[in-house]
Amino acid sequence: MVMGDIETGCDVLVIGGGPGGYTAAIRASQLGKDVILVEKYDLGGVCVFRGCIPSKILIHAANVIYDLTNPGNIGIKSSVEFDYKKIQLNRFGIIKKLRDGITTLCKKYGVQVIKGEASFESSDKARITLPDGTNSTFKFENAIIATGSYPQEIPGFAFDGKLILNSNDALGLMKVPDDLVIIGAGYIGIELGTMFAKLGSKVKIVESSSRLLTRFDPELIEVVSQKMKKLGLEIYYNSRPMVFRAEKNKAVVTISDDKGNKSELTGDKVLVAVGVSPNNKDIGLENTRVELDGRGFIKVDEKRRTTDPKIYAVGDIAGPPCLASKALREGKVAAEVIAGLPGAFDNRAMPLNVYSDPEIATVGLDEESARKEGFEIRTGKFPFRASGGAMTMDKTDGFVKVVAKTNGEILGIQIVGANASMLISEASHSIEMAAFLEDLAGTIHPHPTLPEALAEAAEAALGKVIHI
Amino acid sequence: MVDIKFPDVGEGITEGTLVKWLVKIGDAIKVDQAVAEIETDKAIVEIPTSKAGKVSKLFGKEGDILKVGSILASLSLPGEEILVPVEPEIKSQEIKRVETTPEIKHVEVSPESKAPEKPLEVPVRVLATPSTRRLARELGVDISKIAGSGPGGRVTDEDIKRFQEAPPKPSEVTPPEVAPETKALEERIPIKGIRKTIGERMVKSLFTAPHVVSMDEADVTELVSLREKEKKTAEEKGVKLTYLAFIVKAATVALKQHPYLNASLDPQKNEIVLKHYYNIGIAVDTPEGLMVPVIKNTDQKSIMELAKETEKLSEEARTRKIKLSDLKGNTFTITNIGSIGGLFSTPIINPPDVAILGVHRIRDMPVVINGEVKIRKILPLALSFDHRVLDGAQAARFMNTLIEHLKDPDLLLLDVT
Repeated sequence: MVMGDIETGCDVLVIGGGPGGYTAAIRASQLGKDVILVEKYDLGGVCVFRGCIPSKILIHAANVIYDLTNPGNIGIKSSVEFDYKKIQLNRFGIIKKLRDGITTLCKKYGVQVIKGEASFESSDKARITLPDGTNSTFKFENAIIATGSYPQEIPGFAFDGKLILNSNDALGLMKVPDDLVIIGAGYIGIELGTMFAKLGSKVKIVESSSRLLTRFDPELIEVVSQKMKKLGLEIYYNSRPMVFRAEKNKAVVTISDDKGNKSELTGDKVLVAVGVSPNNKDIGLENTRVELDGRGFIKVDEKRRTTDPKIYAVGDIAGPPCLASKALREGKVAAEVIAGLPGAFDNRAMPLNVYSDPEIATVGLDEESARKEGFEIRTGKFPFRASGGAMTMDKTDGFVKVVAKTNGEILGIQIVGANASMLISEASHSIEMAAFLEDLAGTIHPHPTLPEALAEAAEAALGKVIHI
Repeated sequence: MVDIKFPDVGEGITEGTLVKWLVKIGDAIKVDQAVAEIETDKAIVEIPTSKAGKVSKLFGKEGDILKVGSILASLSLPGEEILVPVEPEIKSQEIKRVETTPEIKHVEVSPESKAPEKPLEVPVRVLATPSTRRLARELGVDISKIAGSGPGGRVTDEDIKRFQEAPPKPSEVTPPEVAPETKALEERIPIKGIRKTIGERMVKSLFTAPHVVSMDEADVTELVSLREKEKKTAEEKGVKLTYLAFIVKAATVALKQHPYLNASLDPQKNEIVLKHYYNIGIAVDTPEGLMVPVIKNTDQKSIMELAKETEKLSEEARTRKIKLSDLKGNTFTITNIGSIGGLFSTPIINPPDVAILGVHRIRDMPVVINGEVKIRKILPLALSFDHRVLDGAQAARFMNTLIEHLKDPDLLLLDVT
């Protein structure tokens, strides 16, 4: 690489070093391409620094605390002390390890990583600006945009990092807030709300619709909302945040319900978790033929090609669902297509996890969406209270529900319960492998374990369940 | 820039042979102008463009076999500079792999010219594993077009390969060793287009439907004299009055009385489908091979109309001008071998029909009538039928009705609706 006015080039320029970007860069390099990866900060993206990983570390800590203080009737009693600062320091350690791991992998596979910002000058050139302000133009054969997304703001609630927080700010708090107001009962609101409640916060969630996670089967939500109630979370349904004001270092949020009744919620902090917006600015898209959809995400096809034949897009910027798991796969698809291989993002099903208590995980169609798509279906449900495995763990809340066509082809599986996030992979694999109910029911599952519930639910759908 | 693709022309057609380019690079073309002639399994079709513009690239050369959905040509739109296609540059081997797709080098493009590719977040509902789906892409096969043979209709790797190779590959048959001196005396003709379709359909028909052939003769002495008499009148009206028109009419009458011959079999649902409409396919010998134009609603047409339509469709088939819609929808088929020769034949059923009638040459034959030998005009008939759907008795009864109407053409005229 030569900086200055001399133009240099590469086969593939990847912009953004999150899960989509670094995967694309490594795979393209493995396939013989000369790859440059440009990242503003450190490698890892939202996933490593501001999303998946940090939240799961803190949720794990909160769950350990909760389980120790609420061991149920298994004959154990304990008291727990924790130091939130140390929990956070542990988090930094893990994140550093992951970041360094990605950096090492890029080096190992010959990806040239540049810390800086890239902006397209045309469909085959981009200007890369280093942190010190020097810049240089790079010519590329293909580019992969993986610039991700950022937390969305709502009018009147601009993030200030002090009282009005986004999810990243909330994860970065070094002290557990006594009172926390959360705007939005989507998956981030529920996950962080539950976590802070377990750590001792008094949590109030404001939600504009009449229930949590409107995209999920209401049966799943019922299990989670009961537990949230038990944890002391207050949820204000059909309510919208109207005004914010700071008062004696506290955040006061005026909310209004659907009948126009106003009330005030006071917290040490307000967390706004209403979704994400794509990072589509300052990367010179106007100098290319890349087109955006109505919400600002880049339009892509099955091969993750944009409307500009040389440019690809992966991850959050290529449209929802904004999940690292999607980005990881898309990165490989784009790299393979660029290398002339027959890659395509052709997955039959996309798993979605919510790290609530208990966890929710779904893949494919639920009952309502399957009917809406015109399928004649059969369903089978198996509650964890009938599972030996769940009983041994004292985690009997929740169930597995299987939705299949009448001929047995599995269309979707929904799980609410302990470790649902881990159980869902078998469900995803089943759908991806075009499995029928008999396939799932006929697979031997170790006993006594939670995944047995998947086979049992499949048997229930076949009308011959044994354990209920 | 827009691409003109080889459109789905229906009838399960998946590929075609590029016969002729009707445009060349640099031509300015109008909406609906034909860009190429493609020979499908059924007919030669002209592929029109839905956009106006300047032809910037043609994909493929004459004689190439193209898949439905593949890009035929690219057009640059008004205000858009021509995109210069460049062949993939072969770089030195130790540096990098060579991309297989040709890149397009951009000269200059005005901002309003946008060719959005379909935004895709469609759920993939193809019943196949990831590795099989990948294989399909590798082989350039549209997996959504394949009916899977696996359990529950899963598409298997074998289905993909079979689909790609189209005719069931005679992999176990090794080509016979040919002595070099005879090789020069042999000619090899690639099987494609109509020949390929005939082969595939006949193999499928003969190996799925248990064929039984029922043979009989019709005394058509009176029909012959009736035709001789009316031929002239018909000619004055510009119609060539053939025996075939009478036979189509007689068959229609017989089909009405014996509905199990005007049917098809639905193996998925395990049902016999009786059809209360009468579309009769007529096998026509063309230079390319056998084609079967279909005369629709024969029960609603007069013999004159049937004669006229048969002639028109046969001619269109021979000159390959026939519309695809005129080649489908058959409920029963008649093959008229008699016009060429032969005593008897065993026709193969034309799917999805369950029966086919072979019509042979009318000959003067000695026939015993009331103890006396007379010379009569005799028409030999052969009916192949699908024994899954009907039995010999039904077929024989159908033949009796048919023969009765051919013997006494007045009955036919009475049946004109």
